[in-house]
Amino acid sequence: MTKILSVENIELYYDHIYALKGVSIDVDEGETVALIGANGAGKSSILRAITGLRPIRSGQIVYQGHRLDGTSASDIVRRGISMVPEGRRAFPLMSVKDNLLMGAFTRSDKAEIEQTLENVLTRFPRLRERYHQQASTMSGGEQQMMVIGRALMARPRLLLLDEPSLGIAPKLVQDIARAIVAISRDEKVSILLVEQNSRMALSISNRAYALSTGSIALSGNSKDLMNDNRIKAAYLGGEL
Amino acid sequence: MEQIIANGLYLGAQYALIALGLTLIFSLMNVLNFAHGQMYVFGGFVTYTVVVQLGLPFIVGLLASAVILAIMGAVIEKFLFAPVVRRSKRDESTMLLAAGIAFFLDAVILLLFGEKQRGVPKIVNGVFNWDMRIIMPYDRILIGVLAILLIVVFIAFMNYSRAGRAMRALAQDRMAAQLMGVDVARYSMLGLALGAMLAGLVGGLLVTITGVNLGMGGPTSIKAFLMIMIGGAGVISGAIAGGFILGMMESVGLTVLSAYGDITYLVIFATLMVFLAVRPQGLMGKPWG
Ligand SMILES: Nc1ncnc2c1ncn2[C@@H]1O[C@H](COP(=O)(O)OP(=O)(O)O)[C@@H](O)[C@H]1O
Ligand SMILES: [Mg+2]
Repeated sequence: MTKILSVENIELYYDHIYALKGVSIDVDEGETVALIGANGAGKSSILRAITGLRPIRSGQIVYQGHRLDGTSASDIVRRGISMVPEGRRAFPLMSVKDNLLMGAFTRSDKAEIEQTLENVLTRFPRLRERYHQQASTMSGGEQQMMVIGRALMARPRLLLLDEPSLGIAPKLVQDIARAIVAISRDEKVSILLVEQNSRMALSISNRAYALSTGSIALSGNSKDLMNDNRIKAAYLGGEL
Repeated sequence: MEQIIANGLYLGAQYALIALGLTLIFSLMNVLNFAHGQMYVFGGFVTYTVVVQLGLPFIVGLLASAVILAIMGAVIEKFLFAPVVRRSKRDESTMLLAAGIAFFLDAVILLLFGEKQRGVPKIVNGVFNWDMRIIMPYDRILIGVLAILLIVVFIAFMNYSRAGRAMRALAQDRMAAQLMGVDVARYSMLGLALGAMLAGLVGGLLVTITGVNLGMGGPTSIKAFLMIMIGGAGVISGAIAGGFILGMMESVGLTVLSAYGDITYLVIFATLMVFLAVRPQGLMGKPWG
């Protein structure tokens, strides 16, 4: 297996307070890696570091064999990394169509963009039904499908998902989990999935890291972690 | 009656263009461009210089106003707004900067063009007369139509072009726009260039009708603020609505209220205060910005 991403011993600060202290994570080509941990553990901070939204203080991030940290956020998208941010962050006053087209902002191959758009609309039929509707008028679940579709419009090699189940009706969480599995199966894409819904994340990923106040506490095969007593006690109690 | 509406439409189209530029800058940079009126005046003087002093056709003057103001907007963004936004976390800093730019532009205008009122000779002669119901000089009609055309082009650009979509995305969610690969620095610069260009174009249009002078900058900015407060700041439809509403109010006021003296703007301000007390986000504005 070749590595697509390796986060090596990074530190990240907000003003003078650290959010990440010596975090290392690997993602292989084609695999789905879950990142679980309580609220405030630093999961989103890792994604912010990868996407260039926040600078890291030390360590390095290597993507497809090249140094990634220090690259601007807009160039990182061009190199094949797309993120679905926490809280969805749809463009509220835009139609579904324009939201999806924004996802293809970095591309200029018109015919192929059409093709990707067609794929996304086939994958999420609801988006076709709501194609000309304003994003803010849709339900949370529909918006989540839309922003996943928006991220796919860039044809990423690495897809980062930040809590796609957050604030979604329980029935729809399953749909989203299935959609993630299907994307991993159909597309040539590696997935880094951040979740507080640990059971869901572990059940659809190959490997997982558990984060606790800015450091990796545990890592391993998702199947093994699902049965790990420490994980059960800390992350699986009561959830879902 | 028809006359009032025709005047209101003519005025409203110019105002809407000014408000569109202001609202574009506001939604992208989160700063009220206090220098908007000065940019308008500057555009007027550029067209005047090209047409009257260099003897070139009006359309050349108008294009020169557009290009020069776009460059001015881009330079102001890159070398003034961008560094201040990067270093300062307080909104007041950019507001103060914008006010400073307004005074600075006033000084530049005085230096380059002087303090005299300047105008351009009529670009077309003749008066349209519909049965004495609407009487309007052809040059006003031409300028009004040009303004409406520019509004249509601007809206089409914002709605259907890649760059227009990127600017809307940036205004609606800065972080998400970055994640789509939008270069914030570049599109902020483009946005300010476009906004300044619109102000300059209106200056170039109106210099042929009413002329421009140094003193018009400040009051024009205030009118532009009024318009986006009426319509709702940061919303395209709001800027257009605000522009046409203010144009109409002025047109009605100048006809109906003139018997009572120069009180049109007094009445407009009073009405606006009541309106904003009831609906602070303006007509089309979103309560959350
Ligand atoms: N913009 C910010 N400014 C200051 N502190 C922040 C900011 N964002 C996150 N933090 C802090 O950094 C820590 C990690 O946050 P985050 O990465 O968002 O955690 P998670 O995604 O796991 O909930 C938390 O303690 C949080 O309070
Ligand atoms: Mg988070």
